[in-house]
Amino acid sequence: MHIAAEFCVVCVKVLWSFAAAAARWLVKPREKRVQGRVCVITGAGSGLGRLFALHFARRGATLALWDINRTANEETAELVREIYRQNTTDTSSTCAGSEDSGEKSAVFQPRVYTYVCDVSQRESVYATAQQVRREVGDVTFLVNNAGVVSGRHLLECPDELIERTMMVNCHAHFWTTKAFLPKMLELNEGHIVTVASSLGLFTTAGVEDYCASKFGAIGFHESLSHELKAADKDGIKMTLVCPFLVDTGMFKGCQIRKEMAPFFPPLNPEHCVEKAMRAILTDQPMVCTPRAMYAVSFMKTILPFDAIVCMYRFLGADKCMFSFLAHRKESTNNNESKISM
Amino acid sequence: MPQKRKDLGVDVVLITGGGRGIGRHLAKEFAKQGAKKIILWGRTEKCLRETCEEISMTGTECHYFVCDVGNREEVYEQAKVVREKVGDVTILVNNAAVVHGKSLMNSDDDALLKTQHINTLGQFWTTKAFLPRMLELRHGHVVCINSILSLSSIPGAIDYCTSKASAYAFMESLTLGLLDCPGVDCTTILPFHTDTEMFQGMRVRFPQLFPPLNPEMVAHRTVDAVRTNTAFVVLPWTMHVLVILKSLLPQGALEEIHKFAGSYTCMNTFKGRT
Ligand SMILES: NC(=O)c1ccc[n+]([C@@H]2O[C@H](COP(=O)([O-])OP(=O)(O)OC[C@H]3O[C@@H](n4cnc5c(N)ncnc54)[C@H](OP(=O)(O)O)[C@@H]3O)[C@@H](O)[C@H]2O)c1
Repeated sequence: MHIAAEFCVVCVKVLWSFAAAAARWLVKPREKRVQGRVCVITGAGSGLGRLFALHFARRGATLALWDINRTANEETAELVREIYRQNTTDTSSTCAGSEDSGEKSAVFQPRVYTYVCDVSQRESVYATAQQVRREVGDVTFLVNNAGVVSGRHLLECPDELIERTMMVNCHAHFWTTKAFLPKMLELNEGHIVTVASSLGLFTTAGVEDYCASKFGAIGFHESLSHELKAADKDGIKMTLVCPFLVDTGMFKGCQIRKEMAPFFPPLNPEHCVEKAMRAILTDQPMVCTPRAMYAVSFMKTILPFDAIVCMYRFLGADKCMFSFLAHRKESTNNNESKISM
Repeated sequence: MPQKRKDLGVDVVLITGGGRGIGRHLAKEFAKQGAKKIILWGRTEKCLRETCEEISMTGTECHYFVCDVGNREEVYEQAKVVREKVGDVTILVNNAAVVHGKSLMNSDDDALLKTQHINTLGQFWTTKAFLPRMLELRHGHVVCINSILSLSSIPGAIDYCTSKASAYAFMESLTLGLLDCPGVDCTTILPFHTDTEMFQGMRVRFPQLFPPLNPEMVAHRTVDAVRTNTAFVVLPWTMHVLVILKSLLPQGALEEIHKFAGSYTCMNTFKGRT
């Protein structure tokens, strides 16, 4: 009896969440304000991390940028400062008429802080997090973005590189999250963003370590989001970002079948981050870019493996990384990409 | 339609974590279905010895070596010992795993890492140790006992869900990579809660609907999947529904279903291996 009633309630709630999802789709929800909030971004020195920093800066967030590369991180910080300056001139000119809002923006002045941190090192993460709490304050947004790729075939890849990929792309999330989550739990407020990859939803040959690390990051993200739900901490939001190949040079050389390539162009990083920002600021749990990736990952769950293999082969997606690996090998031989590892 | 089944008569099977639990049943099942030699790896010598004796009694050659798969050097060292003393491994079964079973904030850092090292990285090392020879021989099989939690995580076992999701991706990528290598295949088994000591104390809300699996059945289905060259097996098949629902439903709906099904509370009573 009691179970039946509960079952009915669950059914209603399920239907309700469908309705809510549809409503969100029709009426775009408002973006939440991030002005003055502290946002930590790992791997902010380049690629998506840098773009995330710029987008948060445009909205007036205080930024704590983490990267292992000091110079690159400082460059991002400089770009952020530039945006802050623009923001103040903009607001002071537009708000000249209205007294009170002009006052507010005059009182509040966002700042950017930079930290050199190797997120794969637990102690380094904890020490840097401590420093952030002391110097900047309580963190509202945590963007786990840092990532590396070894770019070698499994059997040729040095073990240290495999470990490093796992540590940076997956284990680092343990440490950063553990560092900032307690305060978020206390305030029941916060937002954790995991920048995974569509290779966290489906895999391709030759990049076992990278796929493993990204799937792991998603497993972590999902388990954590259920944990928060189970503990009724609904003030802490989580967003999973799964971009398809982004044109940041990380997977230079990667190629699917020539005839198919025009349908799956590498993503423009700016576009990808815009979409991700939109999802984050409207508390959307997950965002895949381009949308076709939802379809691919759904197909993957319903089709038997043999059918998936046929689909992959047709698209030339099963071996698409081989050209990237070859490219990587060539450039390592020329000592080119030593630094990027 | 009856499928053709591979003959295991020439195969040397290495099972990590073969001393107890599912691993022990796997060893017995491989022996029963005609494998030539069985090799057991694990950390507890007593269990290994007992299982080894039991299998030797049935007439199948069996060896055991103490090896912690979370330790890279040890894996490579023991792999060398195996090659010298027993011969080339042609079926590698990655079964060893641990679960810590705590929420993130209650987890100890070292325990979190240890789970990753045993459940995920261990598979990288064993595969790197034995796959090259399989490719040379054009004969081999890499098997992974994963878990349905790799595709659908629950709260309260964050170390395990992370590591198993990683291990799943490793196997999927490897399977795709080995498609063009004749003679070398992969099998991944994704079982639901199985009746061993691993998840002792875990309580599902509807045990009549989702009874724990019998480890003998899991072992039997695994060996069968190896012999029929099946890449992925979800046990029981009803768990497919869960995976499909997950990719279809909005997050809110999924959470309600999880809550109702009891996956938010099942780990509260978890004791694990004590
Ligand atoms: N039980 C379940 O509900 C369930 C459900 C789905 C999937 N699975 C999977 O099935 C597999 C076997 O589980 P089980 O139920 O048989 O668990 P179990 O009874 O705890 O057995 C685990 C085995 O792994 C060995 N092991 C653990 N850490 C090791 C290490 N570092 N190096 C070498 N061996 C190690 C253990 O032996 P020592 O302790 O002596 O080393 C033991 O033999 C695991 O991969 C598990 O994830 C289990």
